[in-house]
Amino acid sequence: MENKKNLKIMEIFQAYGTLFALLLIIFIFGAFKPRTFFSAMNFWNITRQMAILAVISLGTTLIMCVEEFDLSVGTIASFSGVLAAVMAINGVSFFWALIIGVIASGIIGFVNGFIVTRFKVMSFIITLAMSRVIYGITYWLSGGAIIFKGIPDSFKVLGTGKFGKIPYLTVLMVILAVIFYYLTKYTAFGRKLYAIGGNEQASKVSGVKVDFNKTLAFMLTGAMAGFAGVLLASRVGSASPTAGDAYCLNAYATIFIGKTMFKEGVPNIIGTMVGVAIFTVLANGLTIMQVPTFFQNILTGAIIVLAVVGQKIGSNKNV
Amino acid sequence: MIVETKNLSKRFGNMYALKDINFEVKEGEIHGLVGENGAGKSTLIKILTGVYHKTEGHIFVSGTEVDIKEPVDSRKLGINVIHQDRNLIPAFNGIENIYLGLKSDKKYLCTVDFKKMGKKIKSVMDLYGIKVPLEKMAMELSPPQKTLLEITRAMMTDCKLLILDEPTASLTDKETMVLFDIIRKLNASGTAILYITHRMDEIFELTDRITVFRNGQLVDTVKTKETDKNQLIKLMTDNWKSSGLDSQRKIFGNVVYSVSHIATADKVVKDASFEVHSGEILGIFGLGGCGRTELLEGVYGYKSIINGEVFFKNEKMSHLSPSLSIKKGIVLIHEDRRGHSLVISRSVKANIVLPIIDSYSEKGFYNGKKENKDAVSQIAELKIKTTDVDQKVGELSGGNQQKVVFAKAMISQPEVFLCDEPTQAVDVMTRSEIHDLLRGCADKGKAVVFITSDIQEMLEVADNIIIMSGGKTYEKIENKGISSEQILHYCYQER
Repeated sequence: MENKKNLKIMEIFQAYGTLFALLLIIFIFGAFKPRTFFSAMNFWNITRQMAILAVISLGTTLIMCVEEFDLSVGTIASFSGVLAAVMAINGVSFFWALIIGVIASGIIGFVNGFIVTRFKVMSFIITLAMSRVIYGITYWLSGGAIIFKGIPDSFKVLGTGKFGKIPYLTVLMVILAVIFYYLTKYTAFGRKLYAIGGNEQASKVSGVKVDFNKTLAFMLTGAMAGFAGVLLASRVGSASPTAGDAYCLNAYATIFIGKTMFKEGVPNIIGTMVGVAIFTVLANGLTIMQVPTFFQNILTGAIIVLAVVGQKIGSNKNV
Repeated sequence: MIVETKNLSKRFGNMYALKDINFEVKEGEIHGLVGENGAGKSTLIKILTGVYHKTEGHIFVSGTEVDIKEPVDSRKLGINVIHQDRNLIPAFNGIENIYLGLKSDKKYLCTVDFKKMGKKIKSVMDLYGIKVPLEKMAMELSPPQKTLLEITRAMMTDCKLLILDEPTASLTDKETMVLFDIIRKLNASGTAILYITHRMDEIFELTDRITVFRNGQLVDTVKTKETDKNQLIKLMTDNWKSSGLDSQRKIFGNVVYSVSHIATADKVVKDASFEVHSGEILGIFGLGGCGRTELLEGVYGYKSIINGEVFFKNEKMSHLSPSLSIKKGIVLIHEDRRGHSLVISRSVKANIVLPIIDSYSEKGFYNGKKENKDAVSQIAELKIKTTDVDQKVGELSGGNQQKVVFAKAMISQPEVFLCDEPTQAVDVMTRSEIHDLLRGCADKGKAVVFITSDIQEMLEVADNIIIMSGGKTYEKIENKGISSEQILHYCYQER
């Protein structure tokens, strides 16, 4: 009996440990700075801060489902931000700047996927190399400088506007998260991605068009990264050729944190969103507590390491 | 006693995988272990070799009680296991593989002395008449050579008990004989052998005593000389009955599926043709390496072919791909269950519906209810033992996993079954169920292509048999009063 009870507790801890971690972080910050941290304004602020990382991470979750990597998501975000900003300066409306930015990013994703599936090469190195190419294009587009002069105010609406107290970005993030949850969980496409990630050969024998679905996943991942890039430019009202780069590692970190959420240990949308929340709350709280940036970096890196190790320990326990 | 267990039990959750096992292996004997898949054989071995830890009971090695917590512990005690799936590192040569986990010899303080190690290995190999080229990488070796390499590794240290788990699964008859000679030599030099197999003739040829497992319990241990096949089968199962092939002449329908002059890109298949009628079970028999697996993979569209045509119902297939094959009504049961048939980490349901998963998308909405219903009905149809549709396939026993493979094949309602070793490493009961299933499909007018390396099984199942050798197909033999010797004769013929 005693054993069984312990087992139950272990299981609960495994399933919800990540969620506890999030609550714990919130609790600690709340205890130190209750007034600033627990304010409604800060809550909406955090959700807005989450949005851009969330958009990139949602897309990247798909690529992790098929056990591939796309390390170009950060530079794609930078690229599409710059592209959209350049277009906006030249009189293109925000809507079309956004659409073209997303499509261009989707095409880059397609190229990634095509090369990886057609030539059976490691996505890790291909997308890393592609990110260099994209970086070059972005630099050429921007002339190497941060673009902010001449960006019309209409460009900044989506990134900064609010419905009453609720930022547009928050609403957008929730909608996209719901769509992606449905996509991965309740569509044939999502199921196939998990099957491919579980066993590529068996999926192929079962008639799943592995290359096609993988390429589609790369496209969506690229498009979402591009979307996030435009949102970022819209939010800060400028576009830097390196603005999105840091999001790449953070996106993978959130997915790894998310993988620890459920027993299966596979990438999943709920987990990814919890991962995004952990990341953002941490950054927000540390800033409020005026912790120096260098220390924030140390802590963030340590958390990624912990998440990956934690997932490994969790999956070993299951054997 | 070399190894003895007293009231040994292993529990997963509330389920007993093993219950009250009192098992013993005597010095110098070859002990056979038989039982259906899921009977508990693998669990016992995993406990003895430290992969699992016992829940209750005692284990004695040479009379002293031991606690085996890790594989290292069992190796220290002189218990070694040789697995179905071999534990060799593909890019390592023989010496490197054998010395994995052993202390390597050194010269000049810290340089590894391969020469000295090679000599030591050679002397062990000579002792038992094992011949494997040590300078070759493991991936360049044939299946029997790999097995022998592992046996050598086991014999490098003092080995009291050598456990062989289905060692002949991928061996030809000739290779099996070589392996048996070596096993007997090992045994003569004082190593006790625990031999696990589904092949009855091997059990009777090799062992001194046989232990039978059923549903996690030890049913009986008998002397090989005092028993026979029927009695063993009776011990293993309660309600199994062998169904022989009808002697009645069958009438087949039209040709459903035909392939002509197939050559694969990897050049294993050079020129293969066959046709299969509605209602027919067509066997393709050939010795290991004849290209039968590659032939089926090629015509199914999994591997690329460079020559030949495939016709389905007199219509030429425009191109070959697994998805087109499934759409038309052709399924492949791949020989590699874990590698090419199942997504082990996913649920029973997810596996079964995978081939037709697109059909559940209705105008952008996913019909999860229908999916669930289909999976449940397949599970019932094939009597798959699973807690529910969401249990992970990897948690099922081998026989039940294979049934999931069949459920997955049946769900697209195919006309043509391409089966490659569909009964490999499954229990007697499941094996007979699979035979019945295929015969039932044929009787309903489906066409079945059947590959097995077990001649006896081939003669039990197939209506007609095509001989394959060296990547080419040869004569088609009607399965009527022919013997296994005759078939082997065709295979060994010089062409």
